[in-house]
Amino acid sequence: MYSRVYSAAVRGIESCQIQVEADVSDGMPSFDMVGYLGTEVREARERVKTALRNSGIVIPAKRITINLSPSDVRKEGASFDLPIAAAVLASLGFVPQSSLDDTMIIGELSLDGSIRAVNGILSIVDAAKKLGFRYCAVPKENAGEGAVISGIDVIGVGTVDDLIAFLNDRNSILPEFINIEEIFQDSYKIYESDFDEVNGQQSVKRATEVAVAGLHNILYIGPPGSGKTMIAKRIPTILPDLTLEESLEISKIYSIQGLLPKESSLILKRPFRAPHHTITPIALCGGGRIPHPGEISLADRGVLFLDELPEFTKSTLEIMRQPLEEHEVNISRLSGVYTYPANFMLVAAMNPCSCGYYPDRDRCSCSQHDVGRYLSRISQPLMDRIDICVEAPRVDYAEIAGVRKNENSAEIRRRVSRAHEIQKIRYEGTRFRFNSDLTAAGVKKYCPLGDEEEKLMEQIFGKMGLSARAYHRILKVARTIADLEGIDNITVRNLSEAACYRSTDRN
Amino acid sequence: MENEIRNRNEGRNRSDNSNRSDSSNRSDDSGMAMYWYWICNLPKITNSKIKRLLDCFGSPDEVFREDLKDLGKMGILKEEDIRRIEDSRRGWDLAQEYGEFCKLGMEFVHIGDDRYPERLRSLADRPYCLYVKGRLPEDIKPAVSIVGARACSEYGRRMAEEYGRELAASGVQIISGLARGIDGASHKGALLAGGSTFAVLGCGTDICYPEEHKRLYEDIPERGGIISEYPPGTMPLPYLFPARNRIISGLADIVLVIEAREKSGSLITADQALEQGHDVFALPGRVTDKLSCGCNRLIKQGAGIATSPADILAEFSLECKKNNENYIKTTNSLAKEENLVYSCLGLQPKNLDEILTEVKADIQQVLHVLLNLELKGYIEEISKNYYIIKR
Repeated sequence: MYSRVYSAAVRGIESCQIQVEADVSDGMPSFDMVGYLGTEVREARERVKTALRNSGIVIPAKRITINLSPSDVRKEGASFDLPIAAAVLASLGFVPQSSLDDTMIIGELSLDGSIRAVNGILSIVDAAKKLGFRYCAVPKENAGEGAVISGIDVIGVGTVDDLIAFLNDRNSILPEFINIEEIFQDSYKIYESDFDEVNGQQSVKRATEVAVAGLHNILYIGPPGSGKTMIAKRIPTILPDLTLEESLEISKIYSIQGLLPKESSLILKRPFRAPHHTITPIALCGGGRIPHPGEISLADRGVLFLDELPEFTKSTLEIMRQPLEEHEVNISRLSGVYTYPANFMLVAAMNPCSCGYYPDRDRCSCSQHDVGRYLSRISQPLMDRIDICVEAPRVDYAEIAGVRKNENSAEIRRRVSRAHEIQKIRYEGTRFRFNSDLTAAGVKKYCPLGDEEEKLMEQIFGKMGLSARAYHRILKVARTIADLEGIDNITVRNLSEAACYRSTDRN
Repeated sequence: MENEIRNRNEGRNRSDNSNRSDSSNRSDDSGMAMYWYWICNLPKITNSKIKRLLDCFGSPDEVFREDLKDLGKMGILKEEDIRRIEDSRRGWDLAQEYGEFCKLGMEFVHIGDDRYPERLRSLADRPYCLYVKGRLPEDIKPAVSIVGARACSEYGRRMAEEYGRELAASGVQIISGLARGIDGASHKGALLAGGSTFAVLGCGTDICYPEEHKRLYEDIPERGGIISEYPPGTMPLPYLFPARNRIISGLADIVLVIEAREKSGSLITADQALEQGHDVFALPGRVTDKLSCGCNRLIKQGAGIATSPADILAEFSLECKKNNENYIKTTNSLAKEENLVYSCLGLQPKNLDEILTEVKADIQQVLHVLLNLELKGYIEEISKNYYIIKR
């Protein structure tokens, strides 16, 4: 007898539908599987046979053929165990075919018939909903994760018996329910750190606020122990709260990597990823034989913090150039192009020289040449993508020990959110989202200058030997500073502040 | 025999002086130069060995011709050195080798040449020859060597440039070593003033070391010269550099140390200067600065204190051409806030946060003022958010 079960395979962060067909017929007893299968899927044969037997189902000595289609998509992973088992059950008559037509089934089998969690549930359930399925049967452990998608009933099944029961009687298991609003309500107080813990570093804090307000990439230069990491870690706390769509996008990526926290079915905090400088290009940007998202995608809608920037290998850093422009990573493989979002804010930190203390000559004995060479480890094209550059000075004792009332993250976040709001309205209907996205033409349109400002810019341009890119960077940052103040036109003061944040251009 | 040769040499020198354009004399001069060129290019034959050879034979052409067999027996030279010299004599075509050198566009000045600097003649370990790109310092004009740390502070760099500029503007020849840091800055200062400056290298004069001073290396020969005692093609090897310090101090009347750590090559130069009987000046610094330790110690030991270029010019009874006061910019034209920020800056780099704490204004205001001052040329940002005043 023939039967058909629907399942899905994750490609990039989206999922595509896979049909699992089974046919049981007379002939030499066998269990054959076809359909461009990866090793894990081929191994499903043993798992399915054993799990069914251990669930008390006798597989008759017949010829069983399984086909996974479309046959041009490579099937990887163990998540097809359960749909294969369901297809076999249907062709043996244990479950009705009719109940399989509006259900998508996902899961990995254990030999004892229990069902184990798989990665990528969020993306699969989302696809199932879009494809018009009414139910999605997922491993019990993953049910909470899938339930955040509304408009589809997510059924958590723990064993093969559960699945049989559900397919025979839709009311035997109730769909998983999660109150998303409630989760979001609670999401506010979740950051453990706050900006009010940072003493001193006024200029760095201000530059950080500006960077966050326009989502500009930022580079901290300073000696070891000056609090670069401390401030970077607190950036997510001053970013506006995640919206549901943003949260879903991030959660999908984490779901694919199996990184969703146990207790929560959504990522509610802005991610903060700080990969070590020994990271490979593939681990940073994603890739591999079976493509998977890299750190820049895991930092989506959040912060990617690269400490000790010059210590990263050149190839690792250069590979970020395209994602920084396009806000997504495209990975081409024989089987197609995989796209992962990479909407992150780049925060980098570095020492001013290899010993870390320049220009404090009592401690630094690097020659001018060495200092230049250390800076030049970061290529100009990458520097061009960093709008704000600020020095984090060494903090003295009085500032560390002093008890001072510092501004907390919530206050800063309020100002940042307002600036984001202004940008959202201004760029409505364009492809820009934030000031940092502006192109040369965009700068011309959205950053008009008055006579006085024009004159100052001309002076700065001549005196500091700016490149065209550096000139645009200053204008973009000035636009953000004006937005923070809530004024329409960029002023001379905005421009001069922006000019002081310009990144170190090397001659 | 020695006396005879000396007489002959003196005779030639006299005739040279009386009539420089005499062609026969010139050719004789170049004839002698060929021998000097040969003896200075002998492999593994150091200055002290040349000295022993010349003590025996009087002049390099005699060394070229005479039988050296006995030297070994008398213990003056080692057998292998004698073999080297004899081998070299066989393979060395005097005229061709010297001719090829002349094509390089450099001067070869040997100790018998009257262009040889008088200041060096008195040194115990004077070099027998100098390779010069450009010209040599003039004996009649005052000369000051400026030396100091390679990894210098911004303060040291500014000061070296200022002393180089001021002294050169008053006609003093600036001698230094083309090294990074203080050396480079003093050459640069002298060139800015349009004065003459000389760089003594620890490698062949055809090699620019360090590479980043290419610009200085190209500019200096036009206003002075690049000097070395090592033949063209000699690579910059570490052990060659201490020896060139004696030439740096030897060529000058006064050695000025700008910045030196507790253990510094510049202090060796200063010691050599004292041995050579030259005056040593040191630029005072804060006692807490490691880079000023060496200078402060020199002052404690009795070195002259250089508080302004005028102090050094006074030694030559020269007047400072430009009043130093003029170089400190007048603050009259500055607005009140600008003056406030400007007055808290100095030659020690100060970062934005320190300025903010001192000025007690809000950050946007301070950044605005800093940018204005920078645009007006009052201050300079030397590293990210580190500012110093510009003089």
